[in-house]
Amino acid sequence: MAIKVGIPKSLLFYEYYPLWISFFEGLGAEVIVSDDTNKEILDIGVKASIDEACIPVKIFHGHVINIKDKVDYLFIPRIKSLFKNEYICPKFSGLPEMIKSSIKELPPIIDVEINFFKSKKHLKDTVIRAGRYVSSSNRVIMSSYNRAYLEYKKHRKKIKEGIINELTGADIVKNNIVDVRKVMVMGHPYNLYDSYLNMNLLNKIKQNEAKVFTPEMIDDKYLNKYVKDFDGELYWTFARKLIGTALYLSHKECVDGIIYISTFGCGIDSVVGDIVEKLIRRNSRIPFVHISLDEHSGEAGINTRVEAFMDMIKWRDVLEDNISAHG
Amino acid sequence: MKITFPHMGNTYIALKVIFEELGAEVVIPPKCNKNTLELGTLYSPELMCIPFKITVGNYLESIEKGADTMFMWGGCDVCRIGYYNTLQKDILQSLGYEIQMFCLEPMKNINDVKNFLKKLSFVSGSKNYIKVLPIFIKGLRTLYEIDELDDLVIKIRPRELNRGAVDRLYSSFKEDVNNANGYKSIVETIRRYKEKLLKIEIDKDKEVLRVGIVGEIYTVVEPFINQYLIERLGNMGVEVHRSVTSSEFIKEQLDFIPFLKSDKEEVHRGAKPYLNTEIGGHARHTVGNTVLYSEKNYDGVIHLMPFTCMPEIVAGSILSIVEKDKDIPILKLVLDEMTGESGYLTRIEAFIDLLLNRRESKFYERDISWS
Amino acid sequence: MKEIYLGVDVGSVSTNVIVMDSDNNVIDTLYIRTKGKPIEALKMGLGQMKSRLGENVKVLGLGTTGSGRHLAATMLGADIVKNEITAHGVAALNIVPNVNTIIEIGGQDSKIILLRDGIIYDFAMNTVCAAGTGSFLDRQAERLGIPIQEFGSLALKSKSTVRIAGRCAVFAESDMIHKQQLGHNQEDIINGLCEAMARNYLNNLGKGKELKPPVIFQGGVAANIGIKKAFEELLGCEIIVPKYASVMGAIGACILAKEEVKKRGKTKFLGLNIADSSFNVQSFECDSCPNMCEVVKFYRDENLAARWGDKCGKWSNVQISQNDEKLA
Repeated sequence: MAIKVGIPKSLLFYEYYPLWISFFEGLGAEVIVSDDTNKEILDIGVKASIDEACIPVKIFHGHVINIKDKVDYLFIPRIKSLFKNEYICPKFSGLPEMIKSSIKELPPIIDVEINFFKSKKHLKDTVIRAGRYVSSSNRVIMSSYNRAYLEYKKHRKKIKEGIINELTGADIVKNNIVDVRKVMVMGHPYNLYDSYLNMNLLNKIKQNEAKVFTPEMIDDKYLNKYVKDFDGELYWTFARKLIGTALYLSHKECVDGIIYISTFGCGIDSVVGDIVEKLIRRNSRIPFVHISLDEHSGEAGINTRVEAFMDMIKWRDVLEDNISAHG
Repeated sequence: MKITFPHMGNTYIALKVIFEELGAEVVIPPKCNKNTLELGTLYSPELMCIPFKITVGNYLESIEKGADTMFMWGGCDVCRIGYYNTLQKDILQSLGYEIQMFCLEPMKNINDVKNFLKKLSFVSGSKNYIKVLPIFIKGLRTLYEIDELDDLVIKIRPRELNRGAVDRLYSSFKEDVNNANGYKSIVETIRRYKEKLLKIEIDKDKEVLRVGIVGEIYTVVEPFINQYLIERLGNMGVEVHRSVTSSEFIKEQLDFIPFLKSDKEEVHRGAKPYLNTEIGGHARHTVGNTVLYSEKNYDGVIHLMPFTCMPEIVAGSILSIVEKDKDIPILKLVLDEMTGESGYLTRIEAFIDLLLNRRESKFYERDISWS
Repeated sequence: MKEIYLGVDVGSVSTNVIVMDSDNNVIDTLYIRTKGKPIEALKMGLGQMKSRLGENVKVLGLGTTGSGRHLAATMLGADIVKNEITAHGVAALNIVPNVNTIIEIGGQDSKIILLRDGIIYDFAMNTVCAAGTGSFLDRQAERLGIPIQEFGSLALKSKSTVRIAGRCAVFAESDMIHKQQLGHNQEDIINGLCEAMARNYLNNLGKGKELKPPVIFQGGVAANIGIKKAFEELLGCEIIVPKYASVMGAIGACILAKEEVKKRGKTKFLGLNIADSSFNVQSFECDSCPNMCEVVKFYRDENLAARWGDKCGKWSNVQISQNDEKLA
C-alpha cells in the first residue's frame, strides 16, 4: 500500500501545491489534501491554536486536524526563506512547533527546513531530506522533484498567461474589454484564494462587473524593476511582492481599483498594508480600500464594502466623463 | 546635530554616554507617558507592535525639544524590527520634519562592528573610526553597570524592611543620572547608588517567590510598556529575574569576540527540545529561558509580548507544552496601548496568589513524605 | 394626490422608514427598534407610515439599505438595493453639496466616508469593534442609570478629563468600572467615554486620512452632543449634524430610488398594502457539506418568495417555481 502523505490546504499550499503534490506523487505516495476550508475547519482550528495567532495560522491548525488521522505523514515544512536575503514570517518558521504543541496524536511530520536565505546551494539536500520519508533512492527523489518543478512552472505560466498583457495597458483596447472595470485584489495568496476565509470576495467583485487581478499575475521582472525604487529594505518575500505590485500599479495606473485584504493580527500586513496604502494614495489616483478579515467578520460587512467600493469606482467614471465632455 | 533615541528602559543611559563622549548634543525624550503613547499610536499603523508606537512617540517628543537626528537599532530580522527605520522615517518626514535617522544593524562579525563605528565617527565629525572604539567600549561598560544596578534593585526590593526605600532611592538616581554628563560622571553616579542600595536594610531570611520574566526584549525592559511590572512584583514581595536585558543582548551580538561570553548557548540548550532554531525576535530565548527557570526551580514565569508580535506568538504556543512538561506556571501578558490597568493588575495578583498556594502545598507534600 | 418616495434602512439596531416628496424634501420619518426581528419591525414601520400618510398618496418608488436591505427588498419590492456607505454619502451630499468628510456612527457599526468634488473617493467601515457604536453607548448609559438622551449634555458638564482605554467593548467597560471605583464623578466618566469613542474612531477609521471640512456627523450617535464636541475638539473644526441625522441611510436610499425610477419609468414597489401581507420565515440546516449553512426560506402570504443563507448557492440560486408570487 502506498504511503499516505497529508498536505494541509492552507498557507503556502496555495502558492506551491502543484510542486508539493506532484513531488510526493512522483515518489509513489498517495497525497491526501485536506478539505476546502469550511466552518468546521475554522472552528476546530480556532479552538486548537493560541488566541493571538492570525486566522490563516488558526485555519492551518484546522486543516491539520482535518487530515491527521487519515495519513502516515504530514507535510509541514519549516519555511524560513524561499529566496536569497528574504524571509517569510516567524510563524512560518515555527509552524511545525506550533502544530506539535497545540495538536495531540499527530502522525510523524515531514518538517524539513526550507531556508534559502544565503543561497539555493543546498536545495538538493532539502529535497532529498523531504523525499527520504517516502523513497530511499536519491535518484528517484531528484527526478521526481525535477518533474514536479516543471509542473509548478507550467502552473505559474498559466496564471500569468494573457493577463499580464492586459495589465500592461497596450492590449486592453485590442481585447475589446474597454467597458469592463479592472480590480486588483492584493494580499497573501492564502487570503486571496481561500474563498471561505475571504467570504468569496473575488467572485463578489466579478458579480459587480469587474475583472479581478491578483499580484501573482504580474511577472516578476516587472516587480523587480519597480521594487528598486523603494526606499528601504524589503526582506520579506510577501513585502517584496506586494510593495512591488503597489509601485507597479501606481506607476501604470492600469487598474480601476485596488482592494487589499489582510487578516487581523497579521504582523506583516500591519507593515506592508500600511506601506502599500501610502504608496498608492500618494502616487496615484486609483481608488483603494483595505479590508481586514477576522473570524468574527460578517459577510454582510464584506458585501457592503465591496458594493460601496464598486459604486465609488463607477461614480468616478461618470465624473471623469463629465470633465472630459466639458474640457 | 541634536541626537535622540528611545529609552528602552535604561538603555538610553549608555547611549547618552556614547553620544556625549562623541561630542554630540543629546536630547533625552521625556519619560514615557500617556502622551508619548498617544502620539505614537496616532501616527503608527494600527496593528503595529507597541515598541514601534512608543518609539515614534519618543521621537516626536524629542523633536519638540529640538532633536534633529534619531538613532535606533534595527536591521534585517524575520520580525518587523527591520522595517522600523523605513516606516518611522516616512512617518516623521511626512509630518514635515527635516530629520536624519541612523540605525545600528545587527553585528555578526568584526566588519559589522567596523561599519557601526564608522557611522558613529560621522557623529563626532572625525574620520577616524578607530578613535571611536574606546567610546563604544565606554558605552558598553555603562550598559553593564546600569544592568547590574537594576539587578540589584530587583533583588533588594522584595526584601526591604522599610517599604518604598528602594523606590525612593531609585527615583533620585534617575534624576541624578539624567543630570550627569559624560562617561565618568554617569558611571560614578551609578556606582554611588549601588553603594547606597547595599546599605538599605533588608530581611535576609525572607522567603520570597521567584518569578522569571521572558518575552520580547522591549516589553521586558521598558517599564512604561509593561506597566511597571517589575516594580510592582518587587513591591508584592516577589524577586524577579529578567531573562533578557540590553547588556545581555549586546553580549550575544558581540560574542564572536573571544573574550565576550554570553549565555546564548545555555539558552539554546534549554530551548532545544522545543524550538531548535532562530525564528526571529526573542522566541527561542523565551522558550529556552522558561526551561532554564524551571531547572532553577523558579516558582513561575511571566511571558510578555506586544499584541500581534509574530515571534512571541509562536513562542507562546510552544510554552503551553513547556508549562505542562516542566510543571511551571506561566502567565502570558499581551501588551498594547489598549491594555487597561485594572484587568492587568487583577491577573498579576491572581497569578502571584496561585504561586503562593502552590509553594505552600509543595511544602506540605514534602512534610508528608518526610513523616 | 401627493406623489412620494420611500426609503427604508433596516439595521440590526433600528429600522427606519422615511418619506420624501419629488423635490427631495423629507416629509416624515419613523424610527423603530429592530430588536432582532427585522421582518416584524419593517412590517410595523410600513403599517404605521401607511396610516400616517393617509389615503391621498401615491408611492412612486422605494429604496432599501442597511444590513437587512436584501430582506427588505424581498419583502416590499424595491427599485434599488443599496449598501449603507453609498446611501449615506448620497444623503449627505443632498444636504451639504460640498461636504468633504462624513462621520457616521450607527447602532452596530461606524463608517468614515471621504468625498471630493461631490464624489466618494475613500471610505472605511468598522464592524469588528463594538466599543465605537451606539449599542455600546446605550449599554453604558443603562449601566450608569442615565437616559441616553441626557448622556451628551452630562458630558458637557465635565470639568476634568478621565481617560478611558479600551480597544473593544469589554476592555473599555472594565476600565470604566475601574475609573468609577477610583471615585471619579459621573460627568467626567461620561465625558471620558465620549472622548474615548471619538479618539478610537479617528485612530481606527480616520488613520492616515485627511479629514477636511465641511464635516458632517450622522447616524444614531450624532444626537449625542458630548461626542460631537469631542470630535470638534479633536478635529479643530465645526461639525454639522443634519436635522435628520439618524435616518440618513434611508434618505440616501430614497434619493437613489427616485433616480432609478426616473430611468426605468415605473416602480417595483409592491404597494403600501404589502404591510398587511403575512411574512413567514422557515429555516433549516443544510447538511450537504461541513459548512452546515443555515438556509432561510421566506414566504410572503404563504408563498415561497426567496431563499438565502447558503454559501454555495444551491438553494438561493434556484428559480422559485411559483411565478405568481409577485401578485400575492
